[in-house]
Amino acid sequence: MASVTLRGLTLAFDGAAQAALRDLTLEVRDGELLVLLGPSGCGKTTVLRCIAGLEDPTAGDVLIGERVVTSLPPAQRDVAMVFQNYALYPHLTVSENIAFALELRGMPAAEIARRVTSAAGRLGLADLLERRPAELSGGQRQRAALARAMVREPSVFLLDEPLSNVDANLRIELRAELVALHRALRATMVYVTHDQGEAMTMGQRIAVLHEGRLLQVGTPAEVYQRPADVFVARSLGTPAMNILAGRARGTAESGDDRMFESGSLHIPIALPTYEGELQIGVRPEHVGVCAVDQGAGNGDILIVELLGNETVVHLNAGGQPLVARLPGLVDVQVGTRVGLKLDRRHLHLFDASGVRIQ
Amino acid sequence: MRRWAVLATAVAAVVALAVLAVARWEEGRYARASAARIARSTAAYFEAVTPANRADSSDFDLRHLLAQARALTTLPGWEWPVEIYHGTAPLVDAAAPPLPPAELERLPDWRDGAALVPLRGPLNGDGDGEAVVGVVAVRPAGRGGLGGLLLSWAFLAALLAVAAAAGAKFRGRPHREYVAAALLLGLAAYTDVRGAARCSTNDWLTATRLLMQEAATRLPGPRVRVVLADVAPIGLGADLVWADSGTQRPRRVRIRGTERAVVAARLGSGRWADIRTAPAEAFTSVWLVALLGIALVGPFGFAALQWAERTPARPLRETATAWGFLAPAGLHLAVFSVGPMLFALYLSVHGASAGFLEPVRPYVGLENFRAVLGDPLVWASLGKTALYALYVPVSMALALAVALVLNRPGRAALVLRAAFFLPFMSSVVAVGLAWQSFLSIGPRDWLGSQRTALLALIVLSIWIQVGYQMMVFVAGLQRIPQAYLEAARVDGAGAWQRFWRVTFPLLRPVTQFVLVTGVIGAFQMFTLVYALTGGGPLYATDVIMRRLYETGWASLEFGRASALSLLVFVVLLGVTWAQFKLLAGRRAVEHA
Repeated sequence: MASVTLRGLTLAFDGAAQAALRDLTLEVRDGELLVLLGPSGCGKTTVLRCIAGLEDPTAGDVLIGERVVTSLPPAQRDVAMVFQNYALYPHLTVSENIAFALELRGMPAAEIARRVTSAAGRLGLADLLERRPAELSGGQRQRAALARAMVREPSVFLLDEPLSNVDANLRIELRAELVALHRALRATMVYVTHDQGEAMTMGQRIAVLHEGRLLQVGTPAEVYQRPADVFVARSLGTPAMNILAGRARGTAESGDDRMFESGSLHIPIALPTYEGELQIGVRPEHVGVCAVDQGAGNGDILIVELLGNETVVHLNAGGQPLVARLPGLVDVQVGTRVGLKLDRRHLHLFDASGVRIQ
Repeated sequence: MRRWAVLATAVAAVVALAVLAVARWEEGRYARASAARIARSTAAYFEAVTPANRADSSDFDLRHLLAQARALTTLPGWEWPVEIYHGTAPLVDAAAPPLPPAELERLPDWRDGAALVPLRGPLNGDGDGEAVVGVVAVRPAGRGGLGGLLLSWAFLAALLAVAAAAGAKFRGRPHREYVAAALLLGLAAYTDVRGAARCSTNDWLTATRLLMQEAATRLPGPRVRVVLADVAPIGLGADLVWADSGTQRPRRVRIRGTERAVVAARLGSGRWADIRTAPAEAFTSVWLVALLGIALVGPFGFAALQWAERTPARPLRETATAWGFLAPAGLHLAVFSVGPMLFALYLSVHGASAGFLEPVRPYVGLENFRAVLGDPLVWASLGKTALYALYVPVSMALALAVALVLNRPGRAALVLRAAFFLPFMSSVVAVGLAWQSFLSIGPRDWLGSQRTALLALIVLSIWIQVGYQMMVFVAGLQRIPQAYLEAARVDGAGAWQRFWRVTFPLLRPVTQFVLVTGVIGAFQMFTLVYALTGGGPLYATDVIMRRLYETGWASLEFGRASALSLLVFVVLLGVTWAQFKLLAGRRAVEHA
């Protein structure tokens, strides 16, 4: 096992308008499961390929443990990768696929057989060893790809959206299996996904990427509760965080809060000196409804989604769209006007460019 | 539902009627052909036996002509209504209407149900004879054959089966009864046609026998004995041979492997001659195929309608369109591949015919195959061909290497790929001739030496084929997803291991395609040899295709050439099968 360190990693593809990775610095701790989260095209798979040695960075270094591996070929990095489409060799059986890397190393046949059997047993592939990839279901292929990676006992596991090709129910099941596997192996894993649910449930830490840049690294709770900027804030949680744009008015002479206005909303905030455009983020679960004129402002109800355990209400607060998530079944009518309460303890303040202020 | 059933019944009835109509038409054609042939023989008879009016006249003696015409109709066994016109005047039945003068000028082949043949006057010394002096008209003998009766019964049976099939619910059951009835109908119709064909030959033989026998007694003297040449014109070119004796009924005799229709004519006391001709029924097999084919259109149409009735409109339209697109290729395949193959099969078991276009060929069984297998030149050429085919794996290895190098983006790779492909795109003959002059420049004549000629061809073939094989390999390489190679890199495989353990196995279907088509192509190679060496020097480059060509077109032994082509086919089948067995040890790979 080993840590993975990226130092100022930059990668520009020939002819591409902008760099795929820009000065990316990140440390994956030994034995950690780190999730790289971001929308497609943000560069997260490229990070993985740089660690694996399938891409040569334009600048910066990749360290595995204490070793600088930036210019080493993949074979010498001791990493294993699970590809998005599994890339199981179609002409080999499951057992041959799992044994492939071991055979290349010239490992004795008995040892190979022992390891293959053990890995297959662990992932429930014992009965499928003589099948070819084409004869496996999506979940079975996924397990075979994992076994192929696992059997090598590498320093680092790289997983590239391994669950994106299996159906929703199986995905939740495999998610738990992967977490259990990580615990059992105590392996360093870098897990790439665009699914925030996977990121939140699986990652010990989450690294959020956007346009080749690292925006924030932290535990799921940290990233959820203190997003570093508006992009991260909206990346986690459904429905996404409400972002209200506006300006702080008035003065804080009497030690009172100043008033933030956005649409029909008037929100007192404790920002004595800040001037200029401001963005306030508030998660839908921190928005409540009350009688008209009793809250921070009023809103007209546009859409009501009854989900059973909660009710999601889409509102128009004087031109400012807002989503509220109310517990249980709430009896509200589309087209009526309600008062809105915002939980002051859970307001996120961002400056005009989207960076967190406090 | 009802609409479909009605339609099906209509189709079945129309097809049955079509079979009947075709058979009847063909029967009529045979009857007319027979009448026309008898008329020609009759005209020849009159021209042979009737003396001229005067020594230098180009007209017949009318009294003789009249007597002989009348006598003809009273011959025992003569059953064909005949009329002889002298000029436009009828001689046999004086009360009959005369021939319109205009028709004598431009004689139609057929008039009022009788075949018309001009009667030419006797040759005179001036050589301006052979003027048309009259007309011979012969009607077919009307007779209802057994075939017609059979045909009617089968038609009835077929109609019953159709009615039963259509009347029963229009369901997805195979209508075995209908197929059987249709086959029966086709077979009966064919029997009828064959009977008519046989009858037409027999009629002519019988008539010709009577005419020859009559002529033997009436030939104008002075003659000591009748010789065959005297009566030969009546036979219209049929073989005439003296025979010991013979039955006077037409019969079928196999003479040197060929079926002949024979009748014996008595040309004098104890003097018999056989009249031999090709039996018309020997050429009716095409009608068996045609009539069975037409008859089976019914059941096929029936099944198609059933299928159409079951299938919803959209897939129906799509399937119809698909068949529409397949039809031209299918037709092409049938006409230019399946047809010639069947013909080769036919030719391979038949001997040479008398003339190139003469369709009657004696059946010789496996004689052609025996001759081909016993020919040392054939074995030598097979060996040469096998040796030549060894170029395929060599050029494949080269092509794969080039493909691996040039399978990359960029203009340079593109230009190089095109350069390699160029020889394949050029005319083989042009390329060959260019090389021919090139090869003869040096200190030794590569193509002229018995030791190096085949080697030179092999090198030349590699040069031509490498580009093509390279392109196929490049296409195959580009189909292999990069992910497998990247997975192998991460798994620790070096470049060589990636090739042997991932690329090459995944390329197997392409490799197999190139190998199989390459070997087949090598066995079929002809152009280069034909253009460059002509099989020489001293058979050094006499590959199997050239041997075949030599046998067929130089020696005109089509039977042997066909047998040889079938042997090549069998060899190639074996080679291909072996290649599939050896190379496809594992099932085809699917990209997961």
